[in-house]
Amino acid sequence: MAPKKVEAKKPEAKKPEAKKDEAKKDEAPPPTSRAQSPRGEMKIRFAQCGDVLRALGHNPTNQEVLKLLGRPKPEEMHTQLLDFDRFLPMLQHVARSKETGAFEDFVEGLRVFDKEGNGTVMGAELRHVLATLGEKMTEHEVDRLMVGQEDANGHINYTEFVKHVLAG
Amino acid sequence: MGCGVSKSNQFHKNAGKAIKSAVLIQRWYRQFVARKEMRRRYTWHIFQSIEYSGEQAQIKLYNFLGYLMDNFTPASNERNLISHIFRDNEVCRDAEWERYFCYKNIEVPDLYSGPHLTFPLTVEQAVGLVEAFRNKKQLHSRYVLQLLLETWKQLRLLPNINRISTCHSKEITICGDLHGQLEDLLLIFYKNDMPSLEKPYLFNGDFVDRGKDSIEILIILFSFLLVYPSEVYLNRGNHEDHIVNLRYGFTKEVLSKYRLHGKRILKLLQKIFSWLPLATVIDQKVLVIHGGISNTTDLSVLARVDRHNYNSALRPPKKRHQREAEESIDSDEEAGSTNKVLQRRPSLTSPRTLTRNCFQNRSLQDFSDRLKANTVEEVEVHEGLPGPFGPENDTSQSCESISSEDEWKQILDLLWSDPMAQDGCVPNEVRGGGCYWGPDVTEDFLNRHNLQLIIRSHECKQEGYEFCHNRKVLTLFSASNYYDVGSNRGAYVKLGPDLVPYLVQYQASSMIRELSVRQSAGRSERSANKVLREQLFAHKSDLICAFKKLDSENKGRVSLANWASAVESVMHLGLPWRIMRSQLVTGRSADSSIDNSIDYYEWFNELAIKGANADHIDQSLLETLYRHRSTLETIFRIVDTDNSGFITMEDFRQTWKLLSVYLKMEITEDAISDLAVTIDSNQDGSIDIEEFMEAFRLTDKKSRLERGRSMFMGTATDLTKLEGDPHI
Repeated sequence: MAPKKVEAKKPEAKKPEAKKDEAKKDEAPPPTSRAQSPRGEMKIRFAQCGDVLRALGHNPTNQEVLKLLGRPKPEEMHTQLLDFDRFLPMLQHVARSKETGAFEDFVEGLRVFDKEGNGTVMGAELRHVLATLGEKMTEHEVDRLMVGQEDANGHINYTEFVKHVLAG
Repeated sequence: MGCGVSKSNQFHKNAGKAIKSAVLIQRWYRQFVARKEMRRRYTWHIFQSIEYSGEQAQIKLYNFLGYLMDNFTPASNERNLISHIFRDNEVCRDAEWERYFCYKNIEVPDLYSGPHLTFPLTVEQAVGLVEAFRNKKQLHSRYVLQLLLETWKQLRLLPNINRISTCHSKEITICGDLHGQLEDLLLIFYKNDMPSLEKPYLFNGDFVDRGKDSIEILIILFSFLLVYPSEVYLNRGNHEDHIVNLRYGFTKEVLSKYRLHGKRILKLLQKIFSWLPLATVIDQKVLVIHGGISNTTDLSVLARVDRHNYNSALRPPKKRHQREAEESIDSDEEAGSTNKVLQRRPSLTSPRTLTRNCFQNRSLQDFSDRLKANTVEEVEVHEGLPGPFGPENDTSQSCESISSEDEWKQILDLLWSDPMAQDGCVPNEVRGGGCYWGPDVTEDFLNRHNLQLIIRSHECKQEGYEFCHNRKVLTLFSASNYYDVGSNRGAYVKLGPDLVPYLVQYQASSMIRELSVRQSAGRSERSANKVLREQLFAHKSDLICAFKKLDSENKGRVSLANWASAVESVMHLGLPWRIMRSQLVTGRSADSSIDNSIDYYEWFNELAIKGANADHIDQSLLETLYRHRSTLETIFRIVDTDNSGFITMEDFRQTWKLLSVYLKMEITEDAISDLAVTIDSNQDGSIDIEEFMEAFRLTDKKSRLERGRSMFMGTATDLTKLEGDPHI
């Protein structure tokens, strides 16, 4: 994968900062920040860590992120800060993970819910699964994911659904 | 039973798969959301950087023009071209003032179908105006002038700092920037009712520019101000400034909607803006200002300044020694200002240097009489130096404590500053005026003035509002969809006697159709990318220069890392170039990026903006035109002293000379002639500003019509010119 710039979100001002990530090729390069703005702090909150990793194209589970952060307490997630030097090894670790899902993995997983074996699952059931199993999603998140996916009978063609998910 | 066991195994296997599948989907979904959020942020950042750098360019331009004024001889052409904007209003005393702005001889034709106004204004008429504008009517210029005159009279009575209280359990509604977006004001009135005795309102500046209905918003706000003078409050914003308006579209809007009387309306507005109060304090505890504060902000100083002397925050008072070197005067002065400072004591026989004095309590009448008799000499009248000193103190010493420069800075800080996360107070280089101030400055300021909260606007926020500095500073922004459809919500705040802010958000829906989340995000992104690509093209020479430095073997290629750093070093936008590479480097230049290096010449071919009939024009000149088109247009509008939309050929040449000095580049006479020939198609010796800008594709005609706002430095170019009523 080509090296990309890391964007760190700051705790207060919420302005993106640009940093270089050449973890794959070199070792930690110098971060480039907007020299003019006095707002740059180059730190993110623990709670933002997962999102930043995902923004860079990886998809760790929440559990994995917590583990990398050293299993912090819940209240620490919003108060503790992380700087780039601590973040980089986490990124490198996640990047090495082989747990990326391929199209077939998804489809096979969803086929479990295909009671009639006709290529569709009940939207309601899928919502239930996503909200109660694994790393639960909120109702709101599920709604956003599934907008426009259910047909008039509340069925979802899961092959299409998976394509939709992966296209994001 | 055997079957039971195997069934149970099957069940567990399925359950395991189900969980795994769920986790997979959840992870991917979270990644999708995170990436979308990142893209939204940098799209926002693109819009905002370009907006702010436009403001910076504006200030630079005016500093430059100020420099010209100070350093060129009075006789020089360049100076004459622009000196009029540094001159105060030509109209002097009240009588002449009223005559100049007299509306009485403007007839309203029978065909006029808009609202008619009678004064004193009633609430029914104010409400009627809102309805009329909702129905796309336009108010006749006669009524506009009349309304503005009444408004001016009202504003003159107000102090610099409004002090209001939420007694009698009245909740006050505070709105932030509206920027000519009438839809948002209508939405606020719909959700929250219009101003009334029970419903006081405070509007925190930036009513105009960028949006297409700035004048309508002003008319509505002023009407309610007149009907409910104790319930409606207005603070001045940095866009209530005629010089800023030249660039950001308000001037254009008025001239376009009011062909006959637009100039007068603008002149009157210039005055009115300077008379707008600077701040409001609620219950002695909450300060409401448009921009912010600095570590030197002092409300007692601000309470005492002659705010109307500061027509434009972009015109700093001239330095003392330069003033004394001045030789020219306008014999006319500003009407109604009682504390004017004159540079030179007028005399009948010989020039005598005026000390920097305060002539308080002497009315301007006294001076104008004396000055009228002195046509021998000319003294340039500048922003005043007031202060609470008695008339006996005609010596300079007593005024030394507050210089007009200090005052100017106080006002500039109030109208232009932004909060920052770090402690301290540094100049706001991004905007070019005011400061960035930190939480420690807030803390100190609140303590010193015995306040508990600052409410300000000035910055667009995605949710329409944002708290910072430990919830001691609230930013409030009321123009929804400001950067693009779906970019942000607007908000207003209600404050009752408990002074706890209650926020209400909204988003003007006529601009958002049923776009799915992906669609609207994609649209903003495309729009931002387009703007960015044009910016990149506009800086082609500098970029090529930067690339060449990194391309030691002169292969015409640079690595991705070098490309990103070179682009940042030229553009200074702080964007994640590498992540955005796929959108910016497209077409053939993307295909030919083997091993992640980029063929930069090819890239510029992709980016190139083709000029229509501009082939004979020198490429680098074209690039300059493109990059500085907003500045160019602003200068044209300054030069166009009668605001007609046309400038003479001669002025056109002079403008180019000015520009060449400003940009420190060589523009030959021939090049200027080439330019002139291209656009003076009817050979009558005058140049139509709009045509000029369009001829070189400097404004994008198509996008102009799409939205009420162009992203190019914010000129409100969607002005469907009113073909209908030439009499309005």
